[in-house]
Amino acid sequence: MRELTDFWVDIQAWLFETIVSPVLFHFGLMAWYEPGYSAVEFLMLGVVQIAIIALGMRFFERRWPLEKSGPDDRLIRVDQVYTVLNKLGIVPLAIFIVTYPLVQHIELLVRTWGFAPPRLERILPWLGDNALASFLVYFFLYDFAAYWLHRAQHGFAWWWSLHSLHHSQRRMTVWTDDRNHVVDDLLINVALVLFSQVVGVQPGEYVMILMIGRLVESWSHANVDMSFGRLGERLLVGPRFHRLHHALSTPEERHIQDHNFAPVFPIWDILFGTAIYDGKHRPTGVDDAVVDADNGRGWLAQQVTVLGRLVRALVPGIRRSSMQPGLRPPAE
Amino acid sequence: MNKLSFAALAFSLVMAGGAARADSVLILNSEEASYSILSRSTRTEIARLPVGREPHHLIITPDGKEVLIGSTATNELLGLDIKTGERKRVVKDIIDPYHLGFSPDGKWFVTAAYRLDHVDIFHADGFRLAGRIFIDGLPSHIAFDAESKTVFVTLQQSGRLAAFDLETQSLKWNMPVGNTPAGVVMLPDNKRLLVALTGEDGIAVVDPKDGAVQGRLQTGKGAHNFWPRGDGKQYFVSNRVEGTVSLIDTTGEMRVVGNIRIPGGPDCMDITPDGKELWVTQRFLRRVAIVDIEQLKVVASIHVGKSPHGVFMLQGTALLTDKPVRAASTASDRK
Repeated sequence: MRELTDFWVDIQAWLFETIVSPVLFHFGLMAWYEPGYSAVEFLMLGVVQIAIIALGMRFFERRWPLEKSGPDDRLIRVDQVYTVLNKLGIVPLAIFIVTYPLVQHIELLVRTWGFAPPRLERILPWLGDNALASFLVYFFLYDFAAYWLHRAQHGFAWWWSLHSLHHSQRRMTVWTDDRNHVVDDLLINVALVLFSQVVGVQPGEYVMILMIGRLVESWSHANVDMSFGRLGERLLVGPRFHRLHHALSTPEERHIQDHNFAPVFPIWDILFGTAIYDGKHRPTGVDDAVVDADNGRGWLAQQVTVLGRLVRALVPGIRRSSMQPGLRPPAE
Repeated sequence: MNKLSFAALAFSLVMAGGAARADSVLILNSEEASYSILSRSTRTEIARLPVGREPHHLIITPDGKEVLIGSTATNELLGLDIKTGERKRVVKDIIDPYHLGFSPDGKWFVTAAYRLDHVDIFHADGFRLAGRIFIDGLPSHIAFDAESKTVFVTLQQSGRLAAFDLETQSLKWNMPVGNTPAGVVMLPDNKRLLVALTGEDGIAVVDPKDGAVQGRLQTGKGAHNFWPRGDGKQYFVSNRVEGTVSLIDTTGEMRVVGNIRIPGGPDCMDITPDGKELWVTQRFLRRVAIVDIEQLKVVASIHVGKSPHGVFMLQGTALLTDKPVRAASTASDRK
């Protein structure tokens, strides 16, 4: 393990000292020196994630696909674009630049008031003795917040106008997880970063939670009929569990997408009564022609179109009716 | 814990029970909310213990009995026994104590709140806040004059050095010194301040009376911090971007007398009590380098936690009453 960490750190330091640091120094951007080093790690983690998805997860999709190849295969390409832009930090960097001052301002304001976020180790000292237990507890808390944010994405018409892009994919694969509007990503990021700071997640832990969490989520979108077994699928979200959340609603199952929200740990769906384990195969997508039309668009067209949907949802004068297609949360 | 680390731990405990030989070193792992305790004799990490959040710098108390660690994100100081490393106390309500120091007369305690843009001046007795001065530009490192009348603070973002009167907590002057000033020290003659310019490739010599830049010396890209050698006529300067530590002579015409290649963004430094070794934190490599001062050569590099920053030589051997929170390293870590 030590050798692996050394290998990782050596590559990160080499990339930073050879490429990033001289550039920052040359352009007088030394205030970004430490964040720049973290950004290199983020980029490296992105490359690792893409490799795991492309080489590992795709193997299972190719070997045991749930939905066979067909004309809709072309719809996958845009999701690959999303994955590359996200995992290699291009979208996250843009979000970071926009949100950093806001998050900083909130954090500093709170600290100026004298409030210092407590570490859980203060309340549960035994956590300090066990790195794995500590990591898991913070991971659970993070996932708990992510579960409720996900419910909010479905619960508010304006937020659904953004999040519906993620659900519009009819050909769900390991690449689909990153298919989100940048504003949606931005909102989720700000909320989760603030939450993590309040509960006291350390920067190093945050990176690992993000890395492992996003890999689990990529896998949960895979085009395979697999789960982690009867007990396992109640401990960790798998493809069978999450596919139900993306199911196309029907007159018999109008609210099917209001289930299985959990990003990583299904315990939240079990606790809050939103879990369904029935093993049925359902087609994916959204029963709304306006949203479904996302499928024919590229990355930029999707971003622009969905932004329009958000504006219509937020501005009453533009919104023609609260039940306008594309603005209707599936819960309604 | 494997046999080797157990042996190292047992060795430390035996040493603590017997003669108080100065064997332990503290390293603050700024991105891990922990501090490492290292053994100088075995050159291993003995333990990693929890501390608040984002610990960066530390300082010895005027009575010489404690070392105070500034936990920036939890607004507190953790006091450790200077010989055994035992936890003695937590001082609350010290807002964002990034860099910290006591005036030479021990009367004043000053912190630079790097992220919150203010300098706090406390009566050292009881840590009673005397004055808070808000100042733009990321207040970074501090230094005092010999008379304990003035504290000097570098402002990294605005490229300036500010001087504050300790008694009145008022600004005396605020002058441009160069790009991204960080570490600052007052030379023993009390007539020259040295300021490390992280956005440039060297240091500035500044007049403490009015902040005028008297001269510059090239040391290396990303000059960042200082540590005195012996009587303070010579200083080590860490150059973070260059990946070197320079030894400069401040007597007569200031000049560089040696350079040591230390990769990984070298930052804070301390010298062993026998004056033979310089320990330097390598922020990006999660290591601390040991330099043989006679040869000006790195002789070892030891694994510690993420983004190691402050380093401090305990005056004894750590008595580990708290359980280590992470597995400590094992064998000698030469690299």
